[in-house]
Amino acid sequence: MNIASAKSVSRLAVSLTAVAIGSAVSAQDVRITTFKSDATFTLNGRTFTVSRDQNIDNTLTGEFARTSRACPPNCLQPMISADGVATLGELEVLEFMEGEVTNGRGLLLDTRGADAFSNGSILGAVNVPHVTLGPDNRYRTDILLALGAVQTSTGALDFQDAMALTMFSGGVWSSDARTAVNNLIEAGYPPEKLFYYRGGLQAWMHVGLTTQNSATSN
Amino acid sequence: MIRTTVALFAFALVLCGLIIFRPFADGEVDTADRLGAPVDIEVTRAFAPDIDALVRATEATTPTATPAVAPTAIVQAPRRVDVARPDTDDTRLSDMTNNVLAELGFAGVEPVTTNSQLQRQSTSDILAGIEAATGQHSVLDERDSFEAIVIAALRAGETDESIDRIVNEAAANGVAVPEILVTSDGRVDTSVMLTNIVTQAQMAAGAAAPAIPEVSPDDVQGMEVRIVQRANDDVEARFYTVQSGDSLGAISIKFFGVITHYEEIFEANKGLLSSPDRIRVGQRLVIPQI
Repeated sequence: MNIASAKSVSRLAVSLTAVAIGSAVSAQDVRITTFKSDATFTLNGRTFTVSRDQNIDNTLTGEFARTSRACPPNCLQPMISADGVATLGELEVLEFMEGEVTNGRGLLLDTRGADAFSNGSILGAVNVPHVTLGPDNRYRTDILLALGAVQTSTGALDFQDAMALTMFSGGVWSSDARTAVNNLIEAGYPPEKLFYYRGGLQAWMHVGLTTQNSATSN
Repeated sequence: MIRTTVALFAFALVLCGLIIFRPFADGEVDTADRLGAPVDIEVTRAFAPDIDALVRATEATTPTATPAVAPTAIVQAPRRVDVARPDTDDTRLSDMTNNVLAELGFAGVEPVTTNSQLQRQSTSDILAGIEAATGQHSVLDERDSFEAIVIAALRAGETDESIDRIVNEAAANGVAVPEILVTSDGRVDTSVMLTNIVTQAQMAAGAAAPAIPEVSPDDVQGMEVRIVQRANDDVEARFYTVQSGDSLGAISIKFFGVITHYEEIFEANKGLLSSPDRIRVGQRLVIPQI
């Protein structure tokens, strides 16, 4: 009781100070978690920082504010994309970026088409459209090799040192990421190296996390 | 109160049991019912040979176009032997030939972008993206395309026989070929490929497209012509039974002089062909009127 009231007093003090200073940049009213205001990761020597939009009046507009895409094809996706593939939320995605991606052992893949990707994506994501992971793409092996698979003398692929991959698409209404996960498993990728961010770009944007667009405009 | 309820419940149970198991009904039927075995299974068996007989009768007596296609499928299903087929892609033979001619320096032939090249382009974009993220340089495997193999063979002045050997070896090693070049034996139809190169070269030089050949069942093995009676007039329906070594491209040339009408043939036989490279010996195809 005492602690709680002390907390609220201090929060009031903080916000009062913020108001007093005016547009205080350091206020960080919108944090990722109580103890985490941003997540920093490096990708091939470049450093990226993800935080949340500080404008508490901000709402989504445009494509990602839409609620009712036609189903089919944009049908709601199950929680589990494939056997043995973990499903992640935003915090786990950030953890993945700070850990695996920063260590060069993982990649965040945007499985939507190239056009959608060029219109904006999660900061640090790499575009690998789900169709290019399908069996019809005769260059699929080249992509798998680039993701760290090794071709053995028999011609088979060894995924022992392949990267951990977190895949996402537009939102819970898009099957692209789940298709990509299943295409990779079908190609021999070990499920334990695969992760499914079901919320996708829409969930990411819906909580004001930094995208490639918002990062460049900052 | 409770006793009454229990008694009523028990009565209801007994009633349900009586309805479900019908102990006073005819014993034989009863057992069949309880096992859930469909009583009419015998009837189906008895009917099966009848359908075949019916098909044969239909084929023999009433020459109508529509039922003729469906029975063929029924009759042929058991004979389905799948041969190993070369990999295919959705590169159109006409596009590929066009690029072969452009590469060989034919005047007035501009190269076009084939689906295979588009796929290669998008893959190299993806690799560039991955490289930017990982710093690991990856090279797109320089595999010979079917197009490049054909160009090299033509440049080297190989004979038709050795071109046939070269392209079939390439296909056996996983090089994808255009769908309509796949024969019913699972080989690459080199003769259609070469014929089409000549045809497209002549057309590029200003010659008219080859005329639609006159074909009759007398000189084309496997061809049948039937007169179908329609409301106002009689229509000639043509059928062709796939022979060993036929590709869809070859059938198109046989009946229309050029490969391009394979699309109409494929469309007319969609019930039989899952894709243009899936033709099998003995399939009876409808040859549409163009």
